[in-house]
Amino acid sequence: MIPSARAAALVFTFASLGAGPSAAAADPALLKDLGAVIVLLGLPCDRLVSAARQADGSHIAACRNGKRYRIFINAEGRVVALRQ
Amino acid sequence: MKSASIHAGILCIALGTALACAEVAQHGDTPPAPASTAVVVVEQARLIVVPAPVARKPEPPLNVAELKTRLRETRAIGTFAKLALRNQMDDLVQEFRSRHLGGQSNSVVNLRQRYDLLLLKVLVLIQDGDPPLARTIADSREAIWSILADPEQFKSVS
Repeated sequence: MIPSARAAALVFTFASLGAGPSAAAADPALLKDLGAVIVLLGLPCDRLVSAARQADGSHIAACRNGKRYRIFINAEGRVVALRQ
Repeated sequence: MKSASIHAGILCIALGTALACAEVAQHGDTPPAPASTAVVVVEQARLIVVPAPVARKPEPPLNVAELKTRLRETRAIGTFAKLALRNQMDDLVQEFRSRHLGGQSNSVVNLRQRYDLLLLKVLVLIQDGDPPLARTIADSREAIWSILADPEQFKSVS
């Protein structure tokens, strides 16, 4: 492999690894899990379309109808979803 | 005509009925197919035959501890949902406890709607991912309620 092509491959690899939020948005298991939380908490959300993990460990979940929730586990061990 | 026969053969395979295949084999315009071709058609028809459902032996009804264990072990829901579910179950059990301890056991009937709603949410969440557990929980609905509502039986709930 020529050096420039190798460098391009490395850049692409690291760029892919660093794409945290978009990778989380595509994770169907996480979407399903957070969607279930929203259902359990009785919050309005027609369909969850994306979810992104934040630096503090919480997740931002976005619904198709535009509603967004920050979902996290509070100090008492309860799952909380706050409307953003 | 050869093409009509081919279409009929495709239809026969798609429908998957041995009778339709036999019709094609007997009444086609083309000369009778070699024996090996006929066997293939019959074999394909057999492949999509669904076996008769076996009678399901119902599981014994769950108690509260077993319900918690089964929900913890199921793969139908994720970690966040399990924790949220546990929070809500614990809240409801705590409500029953306070009423039983406060001598208000007669008022637990008011918790029935909340109990039914929580169970409904559980069923919605697991019915696709774990249908056997959903059936067992649905079948245990009254048994679990009787444990929660009865002050004596409730003592076994941790």
